[in-house]
Amino acid sequence: MRREGVTRVLAAGAAAGLAGVAACFVSGRERFWANWILWFLFLLTIGLGCLFLVALEHLVAARWSVPLRRVPERLSGLVLLMAPAALLALFSLPVLYPWTAPESLKDPLIAGKAAWLNVPFFALRVVACIGGWILGYRIFVGGSLRQDREKDPRFNVRARRFAPAFMILFGITVTVVAFDWISSLEPAWYSDVLGVYLFAGTFLAGLAATTLVVLHLMARGRLPGVGPDHVYNLGGFLFAFTVFWSYIGFSQYLLMWYANMPEEVFWYKERLEGLWGPLVLALAVLHFFVPFFVLIPRDAKSEPRRLTGVATLMLAAHWLDLYWMIFPVLGKGPLFGWPELSFAVFFISAGLLWLRRDLARGADMPMGDPFLREGLEFRL
Amino acid sequence: MGNQPFSVLGLFDSAQELMDAIRAVKGRVAGRLDAYTPYPIHGMEEALGLRKSPVGGMVFVMGLIGAISALAFELWTEGVDYPVVTAGKPVFSWQPFVPIMFEVTVLFACFTAGLGMLFLLNRLPFFRHPMLGSKSMPLITRDKFALAVEADGQDLDVAAISSALRAAGARAIEVVEQPAPLGPVSPNFLLRVAAGAGIACLAAGYLTYWGVKLFPVTVPMVHMLDQPRLDPQRADGFFKDGFGMRMPVPGTVPRGQVPFTLRGPGDAAGLGNPLPRTESVLGKGRQAFLTYCSVCHGALANGQPSMTAAYGAKPANLMSEKFRDYSDGEIYDVIIRGKNAMPSYSADLSGDECWSVVHYVRALQRALNAKDSDIPMEAPK
Amino acid sequence: MKSEAVSLPGGMLPEALKTPSVILGPVSLGGLDDQVFAPIEQRPTRAWYVALAIASAVMLLGFAFIGFTFVTGIGAWGNNIPVAWAFDIINFVFWVGIGHAGTLISAILLLFRARWRNAISRFAEAMTIFAVICAAIFPLIHVGRPWLAFWLAPYPNQRAIWPNFRSPLMWDVFAVSTYFSVSLLFWYLGLVPDFASLRDRTKSRLRRFFYSMLSIGWRGSASHWRHFERAYLIIAGLATGLVLSVHSVVSFDFAVSLVPGWHMTIFPPYFVAGAIFAGFAMVVLVLVVVRATMKLDNLITLYHLEVMNKIILTCSCLMGYAYVMEGFTAWYSVNDYIRHTFWQYIAGDYRVAGWTMIACNILIPQLLWVRRFRRSYFTMVFVAIAVTVGMWFERFMIIVGSLHQDYLPSSWQMYRPTLVDYGILLGTFGLFFTLVLLFARVLPVIATTEMKIVLLGSQPRHGGGDHG
Repeated sequence: MRREGVTRVLAAGAAAGLAGVAACFVSGRERFWANWILWFLFLLTIGLGCLFLVALEHLVAARWSVPLRRVPERLSGLVLLMAPAALLALFSLPVLYPWTAPESLKDPLIAGKAAWLNVPFFALRVVACIGGWILGYRIFVGGSLRQDREKDPRFNVRARRFAPAFMILFGITVTVVAFDWISSLEPAWYSDVLGVYLFAGTFLAGLAATTLVVLHLMARGRLPGVGPDHVYNLGGFLFAFTVFWSYIGFSQYLLMWYANMPEEVFWYKERLEGLWGPLVLALAVLHFFVPFFVLIPRDAKSEPRRLTGVATLMLAAHWLDLYWMIFPVLGKGPLFGWPELSFAVFFISAGLLWLRRDLARGADMPMGDPFLREGLEFRL
Repeated sequence: MGNQPFSVLGLFDSAQELMDAIRAVKGRVAGRLDAYTPYPIHGMEEALGLRKSPVGGMVFVMGLIGAISALAFELWTEGVDYPVVTAGKPVFSWQPFVPIMFEVTVLFACFTAGLGMLFLLNRLPFFRHPMLGSKSMPLITRDKFALAVEADGQDLDVAAISSALRAAGARAIEVVEQPAPLGPVSPNFLLRVAAGAGIACLAAGYLTYWGVKLFPVTVPMVHMLDQPRLDPQRADGFFKDGFGMRMPVPGTVPRGQVPFTLRGPGDAAGLGNPLPRTESVLGKGRQAFLTYCSVCHGALANGQPSMTAAYGAKPANLMSEKFRDYSDGEIYDVIIRGKNAMPSYSADLSGDECWSVVHYVRALQRALNAKDSDIPMEAPK
Repeated sequence: MKSEAVSLPGGMLPEALKTPSVILGPVSLGGLDDQVFAPIEQRPTRAWYVALAIASAVMLLGFAFIGFTFVTGIGAWGNNIPVAWAFDIINFVFWVGIGHAGTLISAILLLFRARWRNAISRFAEAMTIFAVICAAIFPLIHVGRPWLAFWLAPYPNQRAIWPNFRSPLMWDVFAVSTYFSVSLLFWYLGLVPDFASLRDRTKSRLRRFFYSMLSIGWRGSASHWRHFERAYLIIAGLATGLVLSVHSVVSFDFAVSLVPGWHMTIFPPYFVAGAIFAGFAMVVLVLVVVRATMKLDNLITLYHLEVMNKIILTCSCLMGYAYVMEGFTAWYSVNDYIRHTFWQYIAGDYRVAGWTMIACNILIPQLLWVRRFRRSYFTMVFVAIAVTVGMWFERFMIIVGSLHQDYLPSSWQMYRPTLVDYGILLGTFGLFFTLVLLFARVLPVIATTEMKIVLLGSQPRHGGGDHG
């Protein structure tokens, strides 16, 4: 059966990828951990973006998105999946993060922030963030799944009441992730918009993943009643947040470029010299120019093929964005070798395996939600 | 066209009734269909078979033109026409040009959308349309919905259309006539208005020109030219003698100069020349000597310049024995404090320059009083 | 608009989940026109005349102070070294910020198809235009020679020089003038069908002439509506970009510099959030008065006010995030100058202004978590005034707080505003409210055409057409 075939291919891919990952662990510890951080953040941000989308839908009591809500609810399980990966990533601290070395305290720039950048507090923050996300997952997703059975509308009330608190929690945790995992790779650098920047990329990644899965399910007839108007809204959001991400990214760059302060701009200098320059150009093209111009026409926003292409591109661009922020600390040019390939094969295969398994069970729409019918009747 | 009606209108009470009527009537009557509604109705475009609006395409093209022209203009003005280095950045840096490029893009795009829609696509303003004079227009802008069958080149069959509309549910029918001929607003009148506007523009332009020319030099705009300060070469009441320009206070020392502390010839006699006797020092001394000293003492410092006859003074011959016996410090003292008719040159020459002049004079003295031992004893080859 | 009960196995829908109607009570298409156009067609009340007299008196006082500045020079203000930029830029940023709520309501909410927007979009857009007018006064008068302000425009001139397009001050010129012209265009476009309604209702020949001119012959033809809708939606989308970009460009005035406390990368989104925050507070303030005095409470309902209060609360939380981020980054940067500046915000010479800012922006709006307060006139007016004051003080702290003590202690100096500074600020409030009052009696404060779109039963049932 075709289904079995795909599962077998994915499983083989995951196994092959794992072998490559293990080989990388043995051959190059730094590179291993850089890839690990990159992939764990990539999948974590997809999951967080979807969880944020669910919380947002509850916060504003959106009706049009109710039939689609099960998709980001499922995808936010990636957050739970990445929790052990985050704990494992703690082992990367001595390898990649300079502030863990005791000699680094001789540098006043690091000693001055040692109250924040020390291993015990860092680990505590990781655990606290994971705890917050699990809480959000249980309330939003667990409650929604339970509502399938019990059909109790009080879940909506509870979710709506919890949503603002979750938003505050989300804002803090995404900022902490950005500062801890990305910014502290080079502890002398700081940028206070990095939390907003990561949020923009996160939300966009969550939207793109949601769009891909929604279109996939629609093509297989598993979302009856969901039509071009719903898809148009998803496309519109993708378009709007592409612009938002580009705006935040460009303004961070412009401000640091303009003031040209050595204590800040070295971060950009590292990421623009040599082969990184063309890579950044590719990032700008893939993350802004192509999605922007492709999604301008009104019809493009509801056309499944174009949206699938753009959403896939957006996920790849988000990966490239994280790559561009993390890999320069290895001190070499852009590295695209068998370690990167193995990690990609492993994580993508494992992720898709998990997704297929998850999509196979449970309802495809929140059947117990009282506004499901109104959502299906939505027209622009 | 005589009495041919412009269109036949059927009035309906709700958007739903109108849409049903369109479906009932479309294709079954001769004439072009148009609907008149107080607000846009969903699905109207498809029901009437109207083509999609080209506003989007127009906006995209003009937005792109705006972006490119803004960027090109900025790069040309700041990089080519009058390059100015700002904040140490390269003149062709694109980064600071992005915000204005974005704003101009939005400006072009929005105005294309708004004005293009009104002027080009809707052909507004247009005050002569028959509908504007019809009895139904006030009803339509308030709360009624009209389906109009307009004459599409051929004459309208009023009776047939009226019955079709009534069958489709129209509450009232109106036959809209062609507009009445122009009343007071005749072409002549318009021409006169246009001429008046033209003259007004010319007058306004002329007045603006003179206003802009004269405005900045009229009080109070001149106040920054009219400052309470002392100007050179102008009388001022601030000081009792009325002079704006003042001499420096006694004891003023120019910047970069150490004040001269010599009080008499005896002070200077003991000073030694602090500068080494190098080619560059001698070169500077020569330059300064030719500038300041040769006027009176001559280019060879022998007291025979070109100007003595003109003013009857007798500058010293520096090549004479008396001055050959002067110490370096004594020569320096004369330059600094002046002697007899020679003024002090301390305002013109810094201390180092004076010492280099001393070196030069010494070199001249040696040149005009050379000894045999100064000539190298080598046989020519 | 479905507030009917949905019967479920678990029982009736809880009250908390019912969406309130955006219009209370039955309103007909014609009745809507009658209700909204009444203030234009009737004589103004005595209260209106009194309010106009006060507002215009304050405005004229402000103009007198501006005239005094014009004749005397900027020395009449408190600006000096090191605080070379003070009330002028504070007031400019303050007013531009207030304008952003209008564009958000009319443009961004149109894109989200939020139905509650239709009753308040006209007023909000008008407030944007008036706020930008108040803001634009300051760049013009704060240059030493205002009669030469046209030098900012890039035209070929005999000085053979161009303005410096690399400077954020020039970006400001383009951004604010684009914002003003686009907002005016958007507002006017929305008014065209309403002018057509007024043209067809009015009995006075003079008014009919003016409304005809302004409605440029609009007749409601379907072929016109499709172009109109498309253009309107596109301009709304572009105006959304303007909301983000204009206040970001204003923030670039500060953030591209090296002044400690100014060069923070979070400034662009922080300023935009602050602008929306201040703008919504002003909208709530004015709408409370409109609702109370113009008999429009079935159209501008408590639901509208409650939603706007929720947005104010959201923005307050965003501002809290931004303050925490700035403080944290100041500590994290291990940069003595930045740390000093932030310490000054809470413990320095201007700490009273700093704490006023925190209390008004972060603490007081937290009252809005309570539903009863969100729906109470007294609380929402109190919060709105607090937010307006707090946001003004925030700009004050950013500008004066950073400038008065930057890198060299020998250059530190206190800043003291003069009477002329206060007078001009007050004058702009007078100008703003004068324009608002005039607007309320001359133009329809609710976009009747847009309201008609969301009336119950105004659109046909979807008969199998999808709109692509």
